Amino acid sequence: MHIPSTEPPDPPNPKPTTTHTNGASANPPATAPPETPQLSGAELKKRAKAEKAAKRAAEKAAKPSAPAQQPQQKDGRQKSKESKAPAVQQVNGEAGRGAGAQQQHHKRTGSVNAASLAQRPALGATKRRPSQGGPVKEVEKKKVESKQREVALFGHLYGQPRRHSIEGAAKEVHPAVLALGLQMSSYVVCGSNARCVAMLLAFKSVIESYTTPPGTSLARHLTSHHLSPQIDYLRSCRPLSISMGNAIRWLKDLIVKIDPSVPENEAKSDLTSSIDTFIRERITAADVMIAEIASSKIVDGDVVLTYAKSSIVEKTLRQAQKQGKRFRVVVVDSKPLFEGRQLARSLAAAGFTVQYSLITAAAHAVKDATKVFVGAHAMMSNGRLYSRVGTAVVAMLAHERDLPVIVCCESVKFTERVALDSIVNNEVAPSEELLSEGKVLPGGGLGREKDMSKWREKDNLQLLNIMFDVTPAEYIKMVVTEHGCLPPSSVPVVHRIFSETV
Amino acid sequence: MVPAIIETEPTSSTDNASTPEFDIVSTYRRLLHEDPELTMPVAAIESLVEALSASSASTISETLDLLNKSTAKLKAAIPNPISLSAGTDLFQRYLITTLNRPAAGPGNFDAIRNHLLNNGRLFVERAKESREKIASFGRHFVRDGATVLTNGGSRVVGALLRSAAEASGGRSSTRFRVIYVISHPSSSSPHGQETSVRESRGDAIVKMLRHKGVPVATIPESAVAYALGKIDMVIVGAEGVVENGGIISRLGTYQIGMLAKAARKPFYVVAESHKFVRLYPLSQYDLPIDQKVIEFEVEGDGKLDKAEKKEVLADVDEGVVMGVDDEGKTVNAEEYKGNGLDDAVDFTPPDLISGIITESGVLTPSAVSEELIKIWF
Repeated sequence: MHIPSTEPPDPPNPKPTTTHTNGASANPPATAPPETPQLSGAELKKRAKAEKAAKRAAEKAAKPSAPAQQPQQKDGRQKSKESKAPAVQQVNGEAGRGAGAQQQHHKRTGSVNAASLAQRPALGATKRRPSQGGPVKEVEKKKVESKQREVALFGHLYGQPRRHSIEGAAKEVHPAVLALGLQMSSYVVCGSNARCVAMLLAFKSVIESYTTPPGTSLARHLTSHHLSPQIDYLRSCRPLSISMGNAIRWLKDLIVKIDPSVPENEAKSDLTSSIDTFIRERITAADVMIAEIASSKIVDGDVVLTYAKSSIVEKTLRQAQKQGKRFRVVVVDSKPLFEGRQLARSLAAAGFTVQYSLITAAAHAVKDATKVFVGAHAMMSNGRLYSRVGTAVVAMLAHERDLPVIVCCESVKFTERVALDSIVNNEVAPSEELLSEGKVLPGGGLGREKDMSKWREKDNLQLLNIMFDVTPAEYIKMVVTEHGCLPPSSVPVVHRIFSETV
Repeated sequence: MVPAIIETEPTSSTDNASTPEFDIVSTYRRLLHEDPELTMPVAAIESLVEALSASSASTISETLDLLNKSTAKLKAAIPNPISLSAGTDLFQRYLITTLNRPAAGPGNFDAIRNHLLNNGRLFVERAKESREKIASFGRHFVRDGATVLTNGGSRVVGALLRSAAEASGGRSSTRFRVIYVISHPSSSSPHGQETSVRESRGDAIVKMLRHKGVPVATIPESAVAYALGKIDMVIVGAEGVVENGGIISRLGTYQIGMLAKAARKPFYVVAESHKFVRLYPLSQYDLPIDQKVIEFEVEGDGKLDKAEKKEVLADVDEGVVMGVDDEGKTVNAEEYKGNGLDDAVDFTPPDLISGIITESGVLTPSAVSEELIKIWF
């Protein structure tokens, strides 16, 4: 996904240590491809936001920071058009490419959001495109090159490269958030639950250290001027997960509803304690409930197959073990994150009989299994499961053998959006991650690694490293949530009921 | 809501143990015996209402405690509590929501209790009426010239077919035929009245339909696939409708569902909505009951434990109770097996079901979970 540039590509990501999950979920204007079914709503919202931002920007005309002047799109055609545009540009290549002219227009004006101004172009400037002033032709040529590295079908997903440094981050971004962002982009904090909780905890310190500037109120200022730079920064590190998006929506709603007459200290302590409650109720307690319910479905003699690593599945298995059930676990894992290793290790340490295999051997692993438990990144409203890439394969194999596929998922991961395939919405991780294992290989691996390290020079070679896939609802027997067991078709009902009440 | 203690009688402590003179299990059995039209969940609710009125619980927590204990007692006493638990859970849920609503005014527990009891009775009335409502909905599924395949002795199916037959007398005359699957057509001769009450109920429905001029053919279960080519739809009853939209019904329903699916015939389920239970079976063997359907044996191993006999023997189906004391003497191992199969149930997964006809309308299987969520949240 890296746009080749004069600079060396970002350092390959460190070895993953934790689970991770996420999605192109709450991706704002930039990543929403026009094909997304529900775009129209999002687009409206975006437009309104853009207009608002434009107004704000006009007021602060003097403020735009210097590095903001970097046009960043990859499309040469647009480039030439836009380089003329006097205004600052944060249109990402893919947004510009994907969206119609109108949308682009809005983007152009809308993008003058103070926060993103400060950080996004800076990122581009320092990393990708120092040659901003360079001749259009050169840029164009580079564009063409970069395009060849992208798999065309997934072209709309290649957005901003992930941020791996705090260089150029907006000055409002809280240190806790800065650190968290880097942890996310390097998979240290990984997994949609872990990321959601970590984000909320970081926001707690953001809120604690926040003081309302004179002449405005907390309810009006905090969200738009203080929280959104933090969110934008996190998003530039890795696209937000559905659960993070839901949590952010909840938090913003909470802030907006604060009575302006409430003293600031009180409002802040209310907010932080609400965040604690949210984490406790929607995630911690929910996990306990889910583990309780799901473990009741495990019986003596079962062979439970799981894919990659989900914290809830692990809790479920441990809970079942605590109940004295005797069963075996098969962990299926895959490149490049090898999240299942950690699960297999910790389960084995806890006394489980664990069989570990890679997804290449999934068909074999499924033979022995009696039940399949998987975690979720998100449950879509059409009952489909959006989870770590590879889950769909495992679910399909299990379905083929008539094994029940059970999804453990907190209702905070439910979304009103639908997914028909894994192409429209997904997250593309750096292609280099796919090669990371070559370095581990001893001996002969070296030569090959050398070859592959130059893959960008090969014109007709493209690497695709997507992070998620969509499992059709037919393959899913049951979804375990903290509210009980549901068929996948009931996901929208539960989502509707609980997003209304919470 | 804060429990309001109005009258603290000295007896209230003993009431907790659901008054010694009131036996919920025998009440339940009595109710079922008295009214052959009563279904298990309704009988359970009715006996709970009676338990409440018989007790002198004076606080809310006492009432709930009494309810919990009676429910547990009832469930423990009945070998297949699936259908029963649909009723008790529903009633319990209803009580809790009513008690949490401060509408009745704090401080007057008696008023709340009377309100509860009245509403409980109303609830039972409505549940009884629902069968007629379903029949009037479902009647329209039986079209002129149709041939319907059905099984078991479900009273709702009986009511539906009767209503369709009666409609044929009027202007919109519906002429239809019924193929009735009766598992052991000849089994009534050897044991006489010992045959399952369910069978006799099936026979009664056949008789009733024939009396009304509806041509009925009875076939054994082995002939279902053979008969499929002649039928237009399958209508079956259910003991419980589970969360994923599947049904728990008498043994043999699952295979009819599979065959109907294979032959692409619509498969309709008729069930009152009080039969919706909060249960999510993953497979046939994931039911909360212990069934002895598959018994491996080698020669000289034919005897079964008495405990096992009891388990399967006491009635498993909707509501009919065979006297517990009868079992021991009348049943030998051979007969036991027949009865066990007779009363056993299986789980028909939702993908085999075309529609569920309830008193609140015709639902797709996936809508069941929505209905249950509405009740429970």
